[in-house]
Amino acid sequence: MTEQDSRAENRITVEDVHKSFGDNEVLRGVSFEVAQGSATTVIGPSGSGKTTLLRALNALDVPDSGVIQIGEERIDFSKPVGKDQLRRYRAQSGMVFQAHNLFPHKTALENVTEGPLIVQKRPKDEVEAEAVELLSKVGLADKRDQYPYQLSGGQQQRVGIARALALKPKVVLFDEPTSALDPELVGEVLSVIRDLAVEGWTMVIVTHEIQFARQVSDQVLFTDHGLILEKGPPDEVIGNPKEERTRQFLQRILNPL
Amino acid sequence: MALLALVSAGCGGSDESPVKSSGVLRVGTEGVYAPFSYHDAATGELVGYDIDVAKAVADKLGVRVEFVETPWDSIFAALEANRFDVVANQVTITDERKAKYDLSEPYAVGEGVIVTRADDNSITSLADLGGKIAAENATSNWSEVARQAGARVEAVEGFTQAIKLLNQGRVDVVVNDSIAVYAYLAETNDNSVKIAGTVGQKSEQSFAARKNSGLLPDLNKALDELRADGTLAAISQKYLKANASGAPEAAEAPQQPRSTLQLVLDSLWPLAKAAITMTIPLTIISFAIGLVIALVVALARLSSNPVISNVARFYVSVIRGTPLLVQLFIVFYAMPELGVRIDPFPAAVIAFSLNVGGYAAEVIRSAILSIPKGQWEAAETIGMNYTTTLQRIVLPQAARVAVPPLSNTLISLVKDTSLASTILVTELLREAQRIAAPTFEFFALYGTAAVYYWVICLALSFGQARIEHRLERYVAR
Repeated sequence: MTEQDSRAENRITVEDVHKSFGDNEVLRGVSFEVAQGSATTVIGPSGSGKTTLLRALNALDVPDSGVIQIGEERIDFSKPVGKDQLRRYRAQSGMVFQAHNLFPHKTALENVTEGPLIVQKRPKDEVEAEAVELLSKVGLADKRDQYPYQLSGGQQQRVGIARALALKPKVVLFDEPTSALDPELVGEVLSVIRDLAVEGWTMVIVTHEIQFARQVSDQVLFTDHGLILEKGPPDEVIGNPKEERTRQFLQRILNPL
Repeated sequence: MALLALVSAGCGGSDESPVKSSGVLRVGTEGVYAPFSYHDAATGELVGYDIDVAKAVADKLGVRVEFVETPWDSIFAALEANRFDVVANQVTITDERKAKYDLSEPYAVGEGVIVTRADDNSITSLADLGGKIAAENATSNWSEVARQAGARVEAVEGFTQAIKLLNQGRVDVVVNDSIAVYAYLAETNDNSVKIAGTVGQKSEQSFAARKNSGLLPDLNKALDELRADGTLAAISQKYLKANASGAPEAAEAPQQPRSTLQLVLDSLWPLAKAAITMTIPLTIISFAIGLVIALVVALARLSSNPVISNVARFYVSVIRGTPLLVQLFIVFYAMPELGVRIDPFPAAVIAFSLNVGGYAAEVIRSAILSIPKGQWEAAETIGMNYTTTLQRIVLPQAARVAVPPLSNTLISLVKDTSLASTILVTELLREAQRIAAPTFEFFALYGTAAVYYWVICLALSFGQARIEHRLERYVAR
């Protein structure tokens, strides 16, 4: 099987997912699909449930009900879910955090090799060679032995991306990957993500970068109050939104004054 | 009839005597009470009036003697806990003790004596005390004797202070037990005071054994023989330079004093040995076990299971809410009542480990809590389970936070090990007490011990700095 063939299964199906924290219902029945090799961006106001939606795809927040299928792993969350099943499900996706969450006591290289070495228990030579390749891909080959505190915010986030890719996930999830960055560092991270889109990675990206979303994604989801209010190609959702709420949101983001 | 009773008692004793059947007489004694039970300054050997009497008794019984050194305040608790068979430590016969313990015939007999300055010939009996000033321990019966004889009594802390006031001419007379006076004169070679007369009140010292021990017939028979053949008198002359055995006379032998500097120099190696063989191992072993307990307890406290976390909370509360000394006593003196008898060193390790466990658990718990939630999540997303995350991601980072407070715990522990001296562990402080006792050089010996503790703690602080430096290599400075 070639790499391209293995990605034929890299699609996501989400059916009627609900999630509450206490009395607060954050996801109120969300459904969408992500085609293999495509990029989906999720936009929407704060508190609209977009981050919870992304975290549900990685089981960091386990949904109360609904069905999610990533690759071949399908889980019905209205039934009890076993630990092993959850672990297999989680292994389908790689996660890039807003605050990067790199391990501060490990070098850039060690951050990338930690998962494949310790969790997947693969041979060290092979893992390190791949990790060096991944670091080159994100433009940080020369930073392999630096600790996170020695890197800039953009560099830290790019190591975070390499770490997520190292486990060879079927899909990559980005939780506002540039929100915590200084404006001049945003570009280098977005360009790495754009490269991944071109390579054909299946991705879901929560972001406030509307222009970037328009350029890079095949599908845009607009969330509001725990629902997907509008979804479609970027030219429709961003270029010509049907819903009044979407229009208001875009207005506020694009012309804050 | 009397003969018959003696014979049957003798038979019963020799047949059932637990000592003869075990072949060893275990003797509890202070080891710091010169000249009765102390360590010879030159040889370091346990010697003294009571020691030699106990050895002679064991000899007569044809058994081995084994001394167990115990502080006076816990000596009867240790007797009850079956750490030894008899106490040989100038136990005075009283009605209360007679009711609780088997007391042998006396092997030392004192009587009240009147002490004056050597050049004072105005006092020879109680009748001469009218209008004189006496220095007495306020709670002692001698105080009452002096007062009834018409003396004005100055209350003092103890015998040594009383004699000092007498020397300085501030008081005229001290009334006390002859054995205490003999002991003082033998130790100090003070010839500025003398025994001027007696007051006729006797005090008798005997061995104490557990009630119904069955030891009394053997002990008394041996003491009778030793009294008859002059051994008791000889031992008394050796240590008290007087006959306080309640038996006829025999020979004598003096001892020679040493300078304070020589004493400190001679004590350097024994003290170092005590530190190296006891204090340091006790600290290291207890701390290592304590850390393991602490980690388990910290994780239990963080558990989402309320039963587990409450058990851990209770443990921490008990350990931190009770004195370490009480914990040591419970493990060592109280557990035997439940049938669990633990030797001194392991008992100390258990008590100290549990104590460190309680304190360090809170340090480790707060260090774990200081690690951001994002670190757990990042580990989770790369597929790590709880244990691996803890081991590889959380604890290495928590260590950096925990090292300074844990170092405090360790340094406290070094000094706390001195409490083990109360449960018969011959560690640094106990060794200093042993050496100091017969010489009265407490300042020099305790000062030396303090320096040893300080040096150990200095070394630990140095180690702490190195570990902190190493753990901070990944932190922006």
